[in-house]
Amino acid sequence: MANTNRHITAMEAGLALCRDCGKLLPINGQHGVKSGFCPRCGARIHLRKPDSMVRTWALIVTAALLAFPANLLPVMRVDYLGVPEESTIMDGIIYFFQEGSYAIGIIILTASILVPLFKIIGISLILLSIHFKWKTWLRHTALMFRVIEFVGRWSMIDIFAISLLQVLVNFGYLTSIEVAPAATYFAAVVLTTMFAAITFDPRLMWDK
Amino acid sequence: METLSQKSNISGLIACNGCDLLLEHVEVEPGLALFCPRCGKKLQASKKNSVDKTLALSITALLLYLPAVFMPLMTLDTLGFKESGSIVDGVVRLYDKGYLFVSLLVLLTSLLFPLVKLSLLLVVSLSLKLKRYPDILPLLMRSFHHLDRWGMLEVYLIGILVTLIKMYHLANIHYDLGFFCFVGFLFATLCSSTAMDEHLFWDLIERKGGI
Repeated sequence: MANTNRHITAMEAGLALCRDCGKLLPINGQHGVKSGFCPRCGARIHLRKPDSMVRTWALIVTAALLAFPANLLPVMRVDYLGVPEESTIMDGIIYFFQEGSYAIGIIILTASILVPLFKIIGISLILLSIHFKWKTWLRHTALMFRVIEFVGRWSMIDIFAISLLQVLVNFGYLTSIEVAPAATYFAAVVLTTMFAAITFDPRLMWDK
Repeated sequence: METLSQKSNISGLIACNGCDLLLEHVEVEPGLALFCPRCGKKLQASKKNSVDKTLALSITALLLYLPAVFMPLMTLDTLGFKESGSIVDGVVRLYDKGYLFVSLLVLLTSLLFPLVKLSLLLVVSLSLKLKRYPDILPLLMRSFHHLDRWGMLEVYLIGILVTLIKMYHLANIHYDLGFFCFVGFLFATLCSSTAMDEHLFWDLIERKGGI
């Protein structure tokens, strides 16, 4: 663990890291990056992910736009004795709080509303910090990105729950649950934000 | 500093994939993990008997896969009406209702990717166990690496929990065999992913068993 105080990066040392298998490769020379592929695993080698900033911005803006229909349109329709009632994601959360199921209400509030919001705002902040070269909170920003990477998939809770509810609650005229249009938009938000976390290269934050 | 780049042998070095910091590689004892001193990212976690454990757990999980996804998870019973459903039923219903994109996403994240991930783990750990190194092994390892985050079974379990809490005062809920298979399947899957030491696996593949 030498060199930690001198902070030499692999790029500065003329080395590139394979993102797929973690092998270090010299940028020039035999088996170098010029050949384009990792000799160990066959993945394409880049010093940094290609067009990382542009791609991530594009995905984040898309996600932010999709978030509006995802939250404003109904995500689920409950028919009870022939009376249809449509509910948005927020209605579902309020329902749980009114029923007194606070724990589950907080879980869904976190997974369906807070997490996507946190991801969109968080990644935008990280991208801005790179544009404007804000370097003061690097360690915290790096941690935030790792949290964003980790929590992304948990937003799917609501989609999975609805997919199961519409099968289980199907008692004809008595009561039934059906999926509604916001589900598509919501799934798209999860997908685009997850891809944004994949296209973003956290090493860009640390590059001088 | 120039000496670093001119070292002909770079095998003793590793780089952090979170901030690109160049570090000297140290052997990590089983049970311990290596973190980047600059950005704090976990770089490597060493596991005891990684190959054997991964192999055993991936076989366990694969045996439970079919009952877990095709058998009904639970039955709701209200006023004499009964309705039961499995994970597959949920996907089919979404498709029937015209929600192609959502059904595809659920199909991939809760059914296909977990199956493919486990099969890849099984094939790779079995090859390493038998000390056979077919040319396709690196491709299988890479596929696993990329699919890892797209298998979302543990998320599905919370989805089931939400369903239960939404329904428990409206209907009687009976847990079916599929539910218990699902929990077992999930547990084995999580353990198999944790047991796998990616760094070690790549090392073994590269050295083809030699030293």
